[in-house]
Amino acid sequence: MAGILVWVETFNGELRKASREALGAGQKFADHQKVSLDAVVFNAGPAALAELGSMGLRKLFTVSGESFAKYSSEGYCAAVAEAGLKSGADVYLACASSLGRDLTGRLAAKLDAALATDVTEILWDKTPLSVRRPVYSGKLLAQTELLASCKVLSLRPNVFAPAQTRTGAVETVALTLADVKIRAQVQKAVAAAQGVLDVTEAEIIVSGGRGVGGPDGFKVIEGLAHTLNAAVGASRAAVDAGWIPYAHQVGQTGKVVSPVLYIACGISGAIQHFAGMGSSKFIVAVNIDKEAPIMAKADFAIVGDLFKVVPVLQQELAKARAK
Amino acid sequence: MNIAVILKQVPDTEAVVKPDPAKPGAILETDIKFILNTYDEYAVEEAVRIVEKTGGEAVGVCIGPERAEAAIRSALAMGLSRALWVSEPDAVSADVITQAKVLAAAIKTLSPGLVLCGREMIDTQEDAIASAAAQFLDMPQVLNAAKITIDGEKAVVLREVESASLEIEAKLPAVISCGKGLNEPRYPNLMSIKKAKNKEIKKLTLAELGLQAGPAKARIAALEAPAPRAKGVRVEGEVASMVAQGVDWLMKVAKVV
Repeated sequence: MAGILVWVETFNGELRKASREALGAGQKFADHQKVSLDAVVFNAGPAALAELGSMGLRKLFTVSGESFAKYSSEGYCAAVAEAGLKSGADVYLACASSLGRDLTGRLAAKLDAALATDVTEILWDKTPLSVRRPVYSGKLLAQTELLASCKVLSLRPNVFAPAQTRTGAVETVALTLADVKIRAQVQKAVAAAQGVLDVTEAEIIVSGGRGVGGPDGFKVIEGLAHTLNAAVGASRAAVDAGWIPYAHQVGQTGKVVSPVLYIACGISGAIQHFAGMGSSKFIVAVNIDKEAPIMAKADFAIVGDLFKVVPVLQQELAKARAK
Repeated sequence: MNIAVILKQVPDTEAVVKPDPAKPGAILETDIKFILNTYDEYAVEEAVRIVEKTGGEAVGVCIGPERAEAAIRSALAMGLSRALWVSEPDAVSADVITQAKVLAAAIKTLSPGLVLCGREMIDTQEDAIASAAAQFLDMPQVLNAAKITIDGEKAVVLREVESASLEIEAKLPAVISCGKGLNEPRYPNLMSIKKAKNKEIKKLTLAELGLQAGPAKARIAALEAPAPRAKGVRVEGEVASMVAQGVDWLMKVAKVV
């Protein structure tokens, strides 16, 4: 192995949490393989640059300019490949965010590389380099060997430990690219409301299902989420009923999440829902039906009416937090 | 406009899948119901709707073993006019990047104005086909479309990412992967299913596509069942008591509060 290059995703000029995790995996990787660790970042603000300066990186490739002001698959792919060439890297790491997934497929094709997406575990001691990733809706894990000399990995958010602070000066290299062909371009970006956490990035998710009964029922879910600084999730049943937008849907046809704590309220826990949240570290279920599948899978199951339990839970947690 | 639609056959979402002890990386196929990949239905539906409006034809492109014909037929019943099919084991068992290269070579023979596929293959949980195929086809890509509007030489696509909804303009031809909410896929009627039986499915070999099987870039060495979750705690009875125990557990065991 020659070297590692991490693509660092920023949002409003700051590092994404999932990128800190990709950098953390990169540090571990570099230590283990005794190779160099480089990173490439687009439109980094001063805080992001300072943070990236204290991670023990060898080189930091920075990209800015009009062509890169907004994400584009083609522009970013060309720039990351160029950084990889300059870095001499043969392992590329990215977070498996929406854009990370968009980028890595194209990059792997461009580099004729082995690709592993949404990786949940790197098997550090295996040769050839092997990873675990969920398949068949998380019903199985695939142990995948990456055989090509060049390898591209996207890492599932909330699974890997974030980068540690390290000493040592980083060499910053500003990349300039001429004539990048960009044929798909973001024209408009409507940001989510301030303070609304996305389920894929949240440490805690409070989720509602059929048992919530309607759009008003989600106020109870939102209340608990607010107390816990959590994101609001939903089952397919609640989304299909039109009670909450699709962006909140967790499951096979929604988003795959790996929070530390997943609180499922009024969700039966069909196999398709479990596919989206089964890798949560802790699962709490509140359900009136003790036979619901989620109750057997939960680490802590409360048999009861969510409308009676959740508000009291919110109140008591607020008290406990205030202490 | 001609549209290529990438198709894959996958086990039904309800299927109980188990590793095949005789074939590392494969599942036991007995008792498994196979279907057209759930997200491919959105791609097929969108392609058929666009062709109904603008003319041209929508053609399926599939890599899959012999059993995959059923999935191709169901896409034909939804309205695709014909399909290309690569069934050679070297292609069927290949890694996602190699498969994207094979699909791109087959798609090139159609000179399409648009390439559609599902947002993700629900068996391998792979969503890289669109972006990898786009690179091999030298086309732009947009993933996980929630709305597609064809406007002359370009497609305007809505998609959601973590913190924003994006409106993306892609110059055609482009590869677009289709997500839930894009449309309501139709249920083919008996007549369409009957008609689909006579539609052309053309088998292509890697050699005919100018490709040859190379060394695998990646391979599944083993499929494993995830470690079972430890048995949890269950509380019943008075709300106050259940909540007190819950808060205690959250603070001492989960340590998140």
